[in-house]
Amino acid sequence: MTETTQSTDTDQAAESAQTSDIEMQGSGQPLEVTAGETREKTRDEWTDYEFEGDAKFAVEDLDVYYGDDHALKGVSMDIPENSVTALIGPSGCGKSTFLRCLNRMNDRIKAASVDGTVELDGEGIYQDGINLVELRKRVGMVFQSPNPFPKSIRDNISYGPRKHGDLETGFLANLLGRSDDEEVEELVERSLTQAALWDEVKDRLDDNALGLSGGQQQRLCIARALATEPDVLLMDEPASALDPIATSKIEDLVHELSEHYTVVIVTHNMQQAARISDQTAVFLTGGELVEYGDTEQVFEDPESQRVEDYISGKFG
Amino acid sequence: MAGAVESELVSEDTSETEAVAAAAVGVAAILFALSLAALFELVTITDTVAGIPMVALLGALLILLGLGVVGFGVGSRLGYVATNPRPSAGLVAAVAFSGIWFVVGGLVASQTLGLGTIGWGGVAFVTGGLAFAVTALPREDIGSTLPAGLLAVFAGAVFVTGLIGPGWVWDLGWEQSASFNAEFTIPVITAFCSLLVSWGAAKSYGGFGARGRHVGAYLLVYLNALSIIAVLFLLVAFTVFKGLPGLFNSISFGLGVGPETTLFGFTFAWPLSWPFVMNGVALLNDVNGVLPAIAGTIWLVIGAVLFAVPLGVGAAVFITEYAEHGRFTQVVEIATNGLWSTPSIVFGLFGLAFLVPRLGNGKSLLAGMLTLGFMLLPLVVITSREAMLAVPDEYRDASAALGVTKWQTIRSIVLPAALPGIVTGIILGVGRIAGETAPILLTMAGSVAPPGSQTVDVIGGFRFISSPPFVENPELLQATSALPYQLYSLITAGVGQSSSIANIEQFRWATALILLVVVLGFYAVGIATRYYFRRKLQHE
Repeated sequence: MTETTQSTDTDQAAESAQTSDIEMQGSGQPLEVTAGETREKTRDEWTDYEFEGDAKFAVEDLDVYYGDDHALKGVSMDIPENSVTALIGPSGCGKSTFLRCLNRMNDRIKAASVDGTVELDGEGIYQDGINLVELRKRVGMVFQSPNPFPKSIRDNISYGPRKHGDLETGFLANLLGRSDDEEVEELVERSLTQAALWDEVKDRLDDNALGLSGGQQQRLCIARALATEPDVLLMDEPASALDPIATSKIEDLVHELSEHYTVVIVTHNMQQAARISDQTAVFLTGGELVEYGDTEQVFEDPESQRVEDYISGKFG
Repeated sequence: MAGAVESELVSEDTSETEAVAAAAVGVAAILFALSLAALFELVTITDTVAGIPMVALLGALLILLGLGVVGFGVGSRLGYVATNPRPSAGLVAAVAFSGIWFVVGGLVASQTLGLGTIGWGGVAFVTGGLAFAVTALPREDIGSTLPAGLLAVFAGAVFVTGLIGPGWVWDLGWEQSASFNAEFTIPVITAFCSLLVSWGAAKSYGGFGARGRHVGAYLLVYLNALSIIAVLFLLVAFTVFKGLPGLFNSISFGLGVGPETTLFGFTFAWPLSWPFVMNGVALLNDVNGVLPAIAGTIWLVIGAVLFAVPLGVGAAVFITEYAEHGRFTQVVEIATNGLWSTPSIVFGLFGLAFLVPRLGNGKSLLAGMLTLGFMLLPLVVITSREAMLAVPDEYRDASAALGVTKWQTIRSIVLPAALPGIVTGIILGVGRIAGETAPILLTMAGSVAPPGSQTVDVIGGFRFISSPPFVENPELLQATSALPYQLYSLITAGVGQSSSIANIEQFRWATALILLVVVLGFYAVGIATRYYFRRKLQHE
């Protein structure tokens, strides 16, 4: 390993001698190895992905800084609609940061600054005058750990629409005859059915959501996100805290959702990405998007040597 | 590991020696309780029990205990008792025992033997040093039993031989002629020795070593908790005991015996006549009461809460949710903490100098409410802030990701989740202000023993008038009384002695009891509220 650390100190002679045996393996360019990760220059064509249909998101030259830390470097990618896009990569590679840029959740982190353009259906979401409420209604999000509100299951589901003013409930609405109790019931049943939770909780909608199991809570969070009728569902490692059975339920659910929704899912689990996604984007250390393409192609025959190393488990 | 002792994994049934140690703990506990009872004069030390003087009995019990514990330690050292001691009892125990024996040696040398400063100092150092050596140097079984047991034997011997008897007084010889008498000294010494011995006995019961230390610490922690509960219980019981006769003086039940009340134009008579809480003080009353003060206290607390809670919670919302975390929030935090530590008399003076001149230039209920509100404000801010900071950020993130605005998130997620904590803060604050005397004295106190006709009627006092602000409430601008103030002036100033209150002693205690009940009543309301909101948040 001492040799390899020397090579990073731009010692040309040592570099050529030491990298000769792995040269020409994947991308046909001189390679160097640092701490198990191959060094190579990312090429633009690796992230070009041609697909039929419309792009839901078009991201162009996205840079994110946390203070002085350059967390995402010049990421450009188009995300097709009604499909599942997986974002994979080692810890700290910026995949969650990228996901949070898609509904501007990074605004909530004071140190974060975002540069570049992100377009949702052709409209830039970082332009002035953007309506964050409307954006987040269209782009729902599910977090890593289940985070239902400490309220009843029904209130959790109807929370978004009620706060948006789409549904009216409560004492005054009842008094004025404007109460949407029936709509609420419909919405709750529809969302929970979509999230494959209805049969398990239909008899206890008034129970506190914190009494559900972890997997149920996560599906409840998905149902809560679906209740606002979004176009896009962002999922940040939704199954990382769950057991295999709950995970497989979530995976089936993601698969079904992709018929009507655009799903962007961050995952640590490469098998999971391979199972559920239509296209995969690989972020590697340093906040770079290294490869983006059809899931099968990325996993079977990656163009980048680093991606191949990562996928075959050499690092990360 | 060389020299490491292996203890048994499963200890057998209680052995006889363990039973002896357990019995010693039990006797020590009884002795401790007995000495506490003597301290609070539930037991008189001049009594005799079965023909034996109480002091001698205490002494004999102490000797017995001390010998038992020492015997256990020595037996363990000689190998008759299977224990698992460490090489030494440890530095903390050694320092503690040497301190205790230093005092004992010094007191004996200076007071009993009459040695001068050099003499008693030397003796004290020698006994302290010996105790340190005995505790620290030998094995743990000797080190933790011998100093404690010998102290108990020594104290017991002093009691039995009558060196300290019921008539004993230690005159300190100060100008103020302070002295310790036997009624205080004997119970205190007994309690202290029994505490020490019970610790040693508990360690013996655990077989010394790690387990012994665990049992010893367990005993001390439990005794500590029990004595706190005992003090609380004693205080409440004492007040209740003393206050009950005055409180229920000529109480009667039956249709139409009580005073008449008019509510919404409908007049009815209470089926209960309870003079102490339904009357004021007047010449012609059969039994005088404190109704005006009760009403004053309740209205005070309600007014202060109505004033302080919205302001305090609002400030906490601003600080936690809106303000940038930095210099400003730090300053606010320091200011609120400082305000909470400000003595109540300072608040009272502020109320007198600032509020009273602006509110009709006389002491008034409203001035009292506002002053107490100012006092309550910092605690509400502090606890609300803590409660809101404790709400997980995941809730806020989830709400924001659903496209819900910040204010709606605060209102429907953050505040409900923080409510139990906020209510806890209000409970604590109300507990403080309800019993506060000094600010009331300066801002709202009127007559010491007001007649029943002066009871404040805030709701009934609202009147519409034809000029701005179109509503007025003279009741709010009247001086009135409150329970802590009434109690204070009844006790200290001697005011009311000359008035028509027949049994002033009974009246005072009944007032104290009523104050306790009112404050605990506010507590109960607060705790029930907190329980209700907590239940709503949890999945039960």
